[in-house]
Amino acid sequence: MAADAMPLKKFVIHTFLWLPPSFAVWYFSAPYFVAIAGKLARLLVNQFTTDVVSAIEQTGSVLLFVTTIKVHPTPEQTALLLPEVNALLYSYGLALFLALMLAEGARWWKFLLGVLILLLVQSWGIAFDLLAQLGIRMGPEVSAAAGLSGWQLEVIALGYQLGNLIFPSLAPVMLWVAFSRLISGGLSGQRGQNQGEQKMGEHQR
Amino acid sequence: MARFFILFVVILVGLFAAELTGPVQRAIVLPWTEGLARLSAGLITPLDSNVAASGKILQSTTNGFAISIEAGCNGIEAAIILIAAMLAFPAPWTYRLVGILAGLAAVQLLNVVRVISLFYIGQWSMQAFEWAHFYVWQALIMLDVLIVWLIWIRKLPRRPSMPDVPAPSMPAGATQATT
Repeated sequence: MAADAMPLKKFVIHTFLWLPPSFAVWYFSAPYFVAIAGKLARLLVNQFTTDVVSAIEQTGSVLLFVTTIKVHPTPEQTALLLPEVNALLYSYGLALFLALMLAEGARWWKFLLGVLILLLVQSWGIAFDLLAQLGIRMGPEVSAAAGLSGWQLEVIALGYQLGNLIFPSLAPVMLWVAFSRLISGGLSGQRGQNQGEQKMGEHQR
Repeated sequence: MARFFILFVVILVGLFAAELTGPVQRAIVLPWTEGLARLSAGLITPLDSNVAASGKILQSTTNGFAISIEAGCNGIEAAIILIAAMLAFPAPWTYRLVGILAGLAAVQLLNVVRVISLFYIGQWSMQAFEWAHFYVWQALIMLDVLIVWLIWIRKLPRRPSMPDVPAPSMPAGATQATT
């Protein structure tokens, strides 16, 4: 058991050691990922509204969504609504994912696949942040102009909470559990063990 | 593996949706969060008497800086994830119960450290506070949940239907087979 405990301890230490450089990689690469995630988020937003977003502008890791919704700051003025989303809030899981995968020494394709999946998770967060602003936080006038009402608002509220509180930190851990060969072997249970025994028997024969 | 993930997601979404409802917010989440603020203030007070807790707000009485403990910072989401992971994993119920109780204690202990550290980091630098609050502590709490879960799995009795789950091998990639 003591010998068994060492790898876990080492894994944890290595994960903590990889965290700072992983955070650096995440932070400095974020603008590139944000550009892609923003475009994917727009596709998701379009499922709820009809072409409300006319363009996306990016400053660092902050996305500015140019919408077709007109607001009136004063009775004489008309302006287009430009909600902002800080995309870093939804992408820090990449740092945790990199640290976990580097600590285990995972294969390159697992990194690549994980990063692609995390891009989708980030897009979810960005899309529902924007939808929550348009549908809930900016008031009934804006939500009506965006064409959001009824069940859509309920879905947006749940999607936002999931995208904000659960997915960004959970997704990298779930990916690591799914990719970790030894973990997946353990979770496979009897079948994996039987297969191993069978192979051993064949080898002995 | 698939069974674990499906069960995990079903339990997770169920618990999370329940957490968002008004009655659960009033009966559990809000009292818990207020208790967390009081506990944090109680732990700080022997070393720094210039702190006060009011509701879910922790405030410095010297410079007025205050933090409000909101969803995502009260440790409830982390607890939900841990509970879902332990319930979804095949294990005897006594191990589940002990694991959940011990795991929740470990997660909440670290969460108290998070709240107190953020309270002081915020007084020092708002930029550092934002980094610690939005990114670093979120990752650390989830890492804590993962470590607790892995330790719990290793403590489970070995059964014919469930072999031990070893920790990831080290060094990196040295003995990894192609998967």
